[in-house]
Amino acid sequence: MADLEIRDLHVRIEEREILRGVDLDVSRGEVHALMGPNGSGKSTLANTLLGHPSYEITEGSITFKGQDITESEPHERAKAGLFLAFQYPVSIPGVSVANFLRMAINAKREEPIQVKEFRSQLQHAIDLLDVDKAFTSRHLNDGFSGGEKKRAEILQMAMLAPDVAILDETDSGLDIDALRTVAEGVQRLHEEQGLGALIITHYQRILHYIKPQFVHILMDGRIVLQGGVELVERLEREGYDQIRQEVGAGA
Amino acid sequence: MPEVAVKPGRHREATLYHALAGVGAGNGRTLAQLREAALKTYELSELPVWRRSGFWTTSLQNLDLDALQDHAPTDAGEQPSGGVPDVVQRTLPDRPHAGRLVQNGGEVVEVELNPALAARGVILCSLEDAFRDHGELVGRWYSKRLTIDRHKLEAANAAFWTGGAFLYVPPGVVVQEPFEIVYAIDGPGVAQYARTLVLGEETSDFRIHEYGLGEDFSDGQALHAGAFELYLQDGARCRLAHLQDWGRGEVYDVSTRFVGVGRDAYCHWLPALLGGHLVRQHLELAVSEPGGDMAFRGLFFTEEREHLDVFAVDLHEAGPSGGDVHWRGAATGESRASFEGLIQIDPGAQQTHTYLQIHSMMLSPKARVDSIPSVLVSADDVSASHGGTVGELDEAAIFYMQSRGLDRPAAVRVIVEGFFEPLIAELADEALEEIVRTKIAGKLAAAREDIEAYATSR
Ligand SMILES: Nc1ncnc2c1ncn2[C@@H]1O[C@H](COP(=O)(O)OP(=O)(O)O)[C@@H](O)[C@H]1O
Ligand SMILES: [Mg+2]
Repeated sequence: MADLEIRDLHVRIEEREILRGVDLDVSRGEVHALMGPNGSGKSTLANTLLGHPSYEITEGSITFKGQDITESEPHERAKAGLFLAFQYPVSIPGVSVANFLRMAINAKREEPIQVKEFRSQLQHAIDLLDVDKAFTSRHLNDGFSGGEKKRAEILQMAMLAPDVAILDETDSGLDIDALRTVAEGVQRLHEEQGLGALIITHYQRILHYIKPQFVHILMDGRIVLQGGVELVERLEREGYDQIRQEVGAGA
Repeated sequence: MPEVAVKPGRHREATLYHALAGVGAGNGRTLAQLREAALKTYELSELPVWRRSGFWTTSLQNLDLDALQDHAPTDAGEQPSGGVPDVVQRTLPDRPHAGRLVQNGGEVVEVELNPALAARGVILCSLEDAFRDHGELVGRWYSKRLTIDRHKLEAANAAFWTGGAFLYVPPGVVVQEPFEIVYAIDGPGVAQYARTLVLGEETSDFRIHEYGLGEDFSDGQALHAGAFELYLQDGARCRLAHLQDWGRGEVYDVSTRFVGVGRDAYCHWLPALLGGHLVRQHLELAVSEPGGDMAFRGLFFTEEREHLDVFAVDLHEAGPSGGDVHWRGAATGESRASFEGLIQIDPGAQQTHTYLQIHSMMLSPKARVDSIPSVLVSADDVSASHGGTVGELDEAAIFYMQSRGLDRPAAVRVIVEGFFEPLIAELADEALEEIVRTKIAGKLAAAREDIEAYATSR
């Protein structure tokens, strides 16, 4: 049984069906890539997995570590060990990165974390993501550049140590250096902590740094192709349009 | 006790919102003459009603003045009764201070001044004592810029005030720790006519924390009619904070506060208005001489059925001068808050640069916050502008935080605290900041269901 099991998921937003029966399994220690053209429903899936209130599940279920979380509150999913690195992280004015992290960590615990322990964890994450210390005293995402926002997402992921993380286009908008840092950070968490990752991406770039074991292609709200890393290469050669024609012909 | 019968339903003339006249009631008249003149106004006028455009009315018609404790001046030698009330001991931080004066109801019940400061000529005493012991000095400044006849409760204050606070900081004296001035109402039936006069001499530098605190009570009413004046001489600097929370009793607060900033002087003023059944505040910060500069900050949080009416004036009587007004307010329950901010630049106040911003947040479907900025400019070489936002809770930010493990109430709290934080941090005083943060957190916790219902209904 996989840690995260998505079964026949149908999702609607504003009366429009966006996901039309998605099945997907992700477990700790696995790296999955979910690829698909713009508008295919990738972010819809990511948001739905964390319980965004605007997305209505009309059919199907989500199970996490054996618990049905289809109806759970977002914070319960987070506490259970799911994480979403947002495609467009919003700013939280008035709260520093460090203070926010402390709150998020404490939300998962019975006893508040000791100052010393928190500091050492933070230092570890700072080193991993190659940010400077001043970064953590800035207000979360407030006035951050695109690259800083993505680093802040991965910094939070490192600190919260989820079992399964969904990374929604964390690669887009990053220059090559930032991309490498972020990708290596994810790779290390995968290797050191056994993080399971669902890497959502539109391009292949990030997959040069993190090799997925499983690749899924989402089109029009359905997973139309599944395979190994060879699918990435095929996509690189053929493009989405050709794949769409092939699977469309088969459907 | 002189009293004018209030006939319900009778038409009464509304008082308009405008800045104080340039000259107050003092100016050569003795205290006795001022009390007598004020008494006449008191007798002839009715309880005030304020109206402004936008269907806003602040009415004192529900205040039963007759039922409140006799507000004749106390006789000399009367025994102080209550002592320092609980609410003061609970709220005031245990921290070093330069001095402290506490008035409970109509009586000053505690005065304390660091002896080293007293030796350097600092005075902190009741205003009654100040008239007795420093009559000449006090007489020169008392009511210099405050009027006594704009409405019945202002007149009542000028006619009946007892106790009061007087603070004098001599030239060049620099004091790090705050002077604390506390007005407390410890139960129903109290009419508190509070009167504070502060003089900051040339190049003095000091802090004032003024508190207005009420004990919670359920039956009856109480009144705080306050008048506060602070005059800063050449080059003086003052950080002035007001922390007001009248608690859950039916407390009416109608107050006027005036701060005059002299040549090259500076004032940072931050009222935190955090509770009261019906509160009407006229707050005026005037730069009266060239080179004066000020930062006028403020925050408010109304809840349940509270009614708050703030009229804040950023007045420039001389230039060059600077101003910077920044207020933030939030409302829960069925509370109503109105903030009217006026920038007034008088003729001759050339080279004045000022900006007013007001941000508000409504946390319940029945809460209402109105912000009305206005600008009255009579000089040409100036800049004056205003801006602001009216916000509801940012659902995207809430989801973001929830996805990190915070439950909804915690996420809301982070947003609202973050909203106020820029101003709270400007208090630049850890103990006071903590009080404000705690009070805001308490109000959010109390409104938890309300906020929840608001979110799910949208
Ligand atoms: N909040 C929303 N409101 C309305 N339509 C939405 C919303 N989010 C997504 N959609 C629509 O759902 C479809 C899928 O979007 P999305 O999941 O963001 O795709 P992707 O992430 O694959 O680019 C798009 O047609 C988009 O317009
Ligand atoms: Mg997307």
